[in-house]
Amino acid sequence: MSTAAANSTDTPARADAAVQGDLLRSARFRMEREQHWRRLDALVTRAEKQGAASLSYDDARDLAAEYRQAMNSLSVARDISLDRALLAYLESLCSRAYLVVYAPQETLAGLTRRLLLHGIPQAVRRSALPLFIGFLALALGAVAGYRLFMDDPGWFYTFVPPDLADQRTPDASAAWLRSTIYGNEHHDADGLTTFASFLFSHNTRIAILIFALGVFLSVPAFALTFYNGLVLGAFFGMFARRGLGFDLFAWLSIHGVTELAAIAIACAGGARLGLAILLPGLRTRREALRHQAHDAVKLVILAGLMLIVAAFIEGFLRQLVQAPAWRLAIGWGTGALWAAWLLFAGRPAKAAVKTPARPSP
Amino acid sequence: MKQAARDQERIEQFTPPEGVPVNFVITSLGARLGAQCLDLLLTCLAVVVFAVILAWSNLLPSETEKMVIVLLAFILRVPYYILSELVWNGRTPGKRIVGVRVINVNGRRLTPHQVTARNLMKEVEFFTPLTMMFAAPFMSGWSIGLTLVWVLTILIAPLANRRRQRLGDMVAGTLVVDNPRTTLLPDLAVSLAPAGATSVAAFDFHPDHLNVYGRYELQTLEDVLRSPADGINAAETARIARTIIRRTGYDGPVPPGQERAFLIAFYRAQREHLETLRLFGTSRENKHHLATPPAAGAPGAGKA
Repeated sequence: MSTAAANSTDTPARADAAVQGDLLRSARFRMEREQHWRRLDALVTRAEKQGAASLSYDDARDLAAEYRQAMNSLSVARDISLDRALLAYLESLCSRAYLVVYAPQETLAGLTRRLLLHGIPQAVRRSALPLFIGFLALALGAVAGYRLFMDDPGWFYTFVPPDLADQRTPDASAAWLRSTIYGNEHHDADGLTTFASFLFSHNTRIAILIFALGVFLSVPAFALTFYNGLVLGAFFGMFARRGLGFDLFAWLSIHGVTELAAIAIACAGGARLGLAILLPGLRTRREALRHQAHDAVKLVILAGLMLIVAAFIEGFLRQLVQAPAWRLAIGWGTGALWAAWLLFAGRPAKAAVKTPARPSP
Repeated sequence: MKQAARDQERIEQFTPPEGVPVNFVITSLGARLGAQCLDLLLTCLAVVVFAVILAWSNLLPSETEKMVIVLLAFILRVPYYILSELVWNGRTPGKRIVGVRVINVNGRRLTPHQVTARNLMKEVEFFTPLTMMFAAPFMSGWSIGLTLVWVLTILIAPLANRRRQRLGDMVAGTLVVDNPRTTLLPDLAVSLAPAGATSVAAFDFHPDHLNVYGRYELQTLEDVLRSPADGINAAETARIARTIIRRTGYDGPVPPGQERAFLIAFYRAQREHLETLRLFGTSRENKHHLATPPAAGAPGAGKA
C-alpha cells in the first residue's frame, strides 16, 4: 500500500483523528489522500490559468502522478463512499485534471506555415468536384444574366441592387459609363484605404455566408453564387451593348479574377458541406459532415486570403492603373500566381504517398 | 425516475486510458445563450470605446480612423471568437464568465480546425439572423417567411440532439460543457463529531434502526446538515428528527434541544452502516429497497 508512506508523513496533522480510531472507513480514506488532491487541484488551476507550459519539470511530473492517484481515488470512492461532498469534489477535480492531461492546448506555432504550405493547396486539389460546382454556379449565373439582359434590359433593375448600380443603369450614356471605368469613382485618394477595408469586410462576410449556408444541402450556397453571377452578367451586358465590353473586362479583371474566384471557392467550401449531407457514402451524415469540414474550412480560409488581396487591388491599384493592358496583366497575373501556388505547393513525395489515387484537377 | 433519466442524458462520459470514466455536464442552452450575449456585449463595447477614444484623441487622420474602425468591427465578429477560443483553449471571455467551455467530442485536444469551423458557422447561425431581425421592417412577405424557416432550423438543431450541439458544433465535432468547479467541503462525519462527541454515546443505534433508509435519504440528510446553521431553524430540525425516530423505530431518549446532535449521530451511524453493506455488495438506493427485492436484512423487513 502506497498510502503507508503518506500516513507517516502527516501523522502530526491528524494525531487526534488517529486517537479516535473509530473513524469511518471512508473518512479515513479521505484523510489519507486529501493532501494529494489539494496539490493536484493547485497544479490543475495553474495549468488552466497560465497554460500547461507554465509548469516546471517537477510540477509536470507531479501532475501526472497525482492525476493517476486521483483517478484511482475516484474509482475507489465511487465504490466505498456515500459522502456526496467528497464524490462531487473528486468528480470535478478528475474532470478538470483529465482535460489538462489529455486535452491540452494545441501549440499554435507553425500553424500558419503548415496551413499555407500544405493544408490549403492540398485541400484545393482534393476538391475538384466542389470547385467545379462553385465555378459552374458563377459561370451559369453570368451567362444567364448576360442573355436575359440582352433580351430585355429591364432585367437589370431586377438583378442589380440600386446601391451597387450607383447610377450605372442601362439608360446611362456610353460616355458616362466610360467615365466610370476610367475615372476615379472614389475620387479622393484618401478614401482608398477606407474603401479597401470596407470592401474586404463586406466581401468576406458574404463569402462566409455562402460557405456556411452550404450546410443546408448546398442549395443556398449555389443560389447565392448564381445570383452573384447574374449581377456580373447583367453588368457586362450593359457595358457590352455600348461597345465597352473589352474595357469593362479589363476593369473587372484587375481585381475580379481574385475576387470572383474567392467567391466561387467559398461556394465550393459550402458545396462540400452540402455534399456531405446529400451523399454521405458509408459514413453517417454527421460523421461525413465532420470529415468534409476539414477541407471545406481550408477553402474558406483561402477565400478570405484572396479577398484581402482583392480588396487591396480594388482599393488601390484599380484607381492607379488606368491602361486596359496593364489591368489585364495584373489581374490575370495574380490569377496565375494563385493557380501556381495551389497546384504546386505542398506536393512532396511524402504527400503523394499520403493521399494516393487522387488525381489532381 | 424520469428526472434521473433526463439528468443522465445531459452527461457526457469519457473513459481515459486509466479506465475510470469521467463525466462532463452538457451546458444548458440558456447558459450558452448567456455566454453568447456577453461576448456580443463585450465586443460591441470594445468597438464603441475604441471609436470614442480615437475620435477624442484625434491622433489619426479621419480616413485612417474610419478604416481602423471598419476593420475592427469585422475582426470582432467571427475572428474574435476563433482567436479567443484558440488562445484560451475553448473559452471566450463570455464563456469564462458563465463557466462553460468547448471540448472535442472525442475527449482529446481541441484542434484549430474545429475552432475555426464552429465559429464560421456562427455567421449563419447567429449574426445573419440577428442582422435580419433589424432589417425585418424593410423585407417583403416571402423573405420574412424564408428567414423564419431559417431561424427555426437553427433553433431546432440543438434541441433535437442529446448533446445540445448547434450546427457549427456538428460540423466541427465539438461539445460545450460546464467547466467543473471544485470545492471540497469538510467531511460531516469528522468535522461535526467533536461538537456532539459527548453525546455520541448517548445515541445508540441498532442495526434495525439503520435498515430503513438508503443512499438517497442519507445524502438528503447530508444536505440538511450542511446548510448553514441559520438556514434551518430548530423547529425544522426537530421535525426532521421526529420523522426519523418515527420511521426507524428508534426508542432511545432524545432530549429537547439535542435534535441536531441526534441527527449528526444518526448520519454517522447510517453512513457507516450503508458503506459497510456496500462493501459487501449490497447497495441501497433509497428507502424503497425493502419493497422491491427480497429483503436483505430479515429483521428490518417487519418494521417498514
